[in-house]
Amino acid sequence: MKMSQMLYLYKRLYVQQLKAILEYNKDFYILMCSAALTQILGFVFLWVIYDRIPDINGWKFWEVTFMYAMIFLTEGIGSLFFEGTWRLGRLVNMGELDRYLLRPVPVVLQVFCTGIGINGLGNLLIGGVIVWQSLVHSPVHWTLGKAAILILLFLTAVIIRVSINLAGNSAAFWIRNAGNAFPLMVHNLSDLAKYPITLFPQAIRIFISTVLPYAFISFYPATYIFGKSGWSGWWLLAPVAAIGSAAAAYGIFRYGLSKYESTGN
Amino acid sequence: MMTAAQFKMYRSIANRSLQRVLAYRISYIITFLANSINLLAIYFLWQGIYSGREVVGGYTWDQMKTYLLVTFLANSVLSWYSESAISGKILDGSVAVDLLKPVDFQTARFAETLGSSLLEGGMSTVLLILFATFLTGVTFPGSLSVYVLFAVSLLGAIVVKFGVVYLAALLCFWSTGSMGIVWTRIALTNLLSGALVPLAFFPDWLEKLALLLPFQAIIHTPSMIFLQQADTGESLRLIGIQLFWGAALWIAGKAMWNWAVRQVTIHGG
Repeated sequence: MKMSQMLYLYKRLYVQQLKAILEYNKDFYILMCSAALTQILGFVFLWVIYDRIPDINGWKFWEVTFMYAMIFLTEGIGSLFFEGTWRLGRLVNMGELDRYLLRPVPVVLQVFCTGIGINGLGNLLIGGVIVWQSLVHSPVHWTLGKAAILILLFLTAVIIRVSINLAGNSAAFWIRNAGNAFPLMVHNLSDLAKYPITLFPQAIRIFISTVLPYAFISFYPATYIFGKSGWSGWWLLAPVAAIGSAAAAYGIFRYGLSKYESTGN
Repeated sequence: MMTAAQFKMYRSIANRSLQRVLAYRISYIITFLANSINLLAIYFLWQGIYSGREVVGGYTWDQMKTYLLVTFLANSVLSWYSESAISGKILDGSVAVDLLKPVDFQTARFAETLGSSLLEGGMSTVLLILFATFLTGVTFPGSLSVYVLFAVSLLGAIVVKFGVVYLAALLCFWSTGSMGIVWTRIALTNLLSGALVPLAFFPDWLEKLALLLPFQAIIHTPSMIFLQQADTGESLRLIGIQLFWGAALWIAGKAMWNWAVRQVTIHGG
């Protein structure tokens, strides 16, 4: 299927979901505000700590808030446009995936459009503001090239985030349990990338740079933008990490799909 | 006052809820592991904060390690499960069946919470003691009276946390989903109870505000007692405040319930 066709279908499926959630608009606002509040309170936490100390391991306040906000910002995009990955467990357990298999549309595209997490909008807005403020308050020397690389790193960050979500939720093909907490555990590991990875022991650093490359969402872009000595050039691996995680996630998803046997009714 | 027959009834509700945790033990263990990841991240963050510094915000690194463990324990005794169970009943309409039962809704939910909390708290304690033995410098209090006061304050923390959770769950009578309400509650509780950072770190005005609110009874009180930052007299006063909030929230819950059930709309079936 051609890319333009896929985009067209994505748009059509997305608009349908949008209509559905706008039905319950009270929930819409509550979810959006709660996500924003959660993030603001996390920001307050960092602010309270930095009120007492000037830096952590040589990392300044606005550098850490950048990493912190990148994790939330990408999560926001994930929930807003690819929330369906989080519904994969239900699709498999209820046998609803059967319907998707019958349509001449890529299954993964249909999974992506299974829902909209409007909380993502709250994360996206507040995350965006914090990232913007972090860049304004840091002595960054801007050039056109730097801005272009920042956009590239941002795109790779989103790809990595969505890929990990898809891979983690594909566990539903193997763990057939409604209360499957495995995807949540994978998701929680992103907590580690909210802070500079130099804080962690070597094993954890390697883990969040390779197996689950969360560090390429927050830490490595930060080292590039804030010009951290000793880490120059590492950001070049971000596109590799993005392609690698997308391919791995798609592979895991396809493999899981081949194991799918529907429910017996 | 509760009669013996009523007590037996609520005890069996608590027991049933304890059985349910046992039945879903794999889920419980994975959730516990998922929460420990957060503890791990926070632990190394604090380690970085303390590198090259002796005292931050009046806490030494050894005290902070102890603080983190106490926080984790106090947070894991009242599970995610009890939270989703109450709002779930309201959202899917099964609360209608509860209205017909000769059981007080609030007391029954509290009995359920207590049942699962006992087991989850017990398992968390065992795992945390294992964890603490690998950590150097965690300061354990020396006298038995501190442990007794700490155990009482943990129980008080459960009562206060239940009050907060129950009030938040009742809000689901007016909404169609629980996630937003649950997230807001978690974010507010975490910040204002001292679960993220000890209240002593706050700017003066925020600390004063937090101490006036019920949330501090959930984490701040048990940690003050365990770290022996409060002597026996002060500990008893703090537990008294917990009891006050526990009772106040209970009464508020009752009032809100009486008002909410009159608004109940349940999707047809």
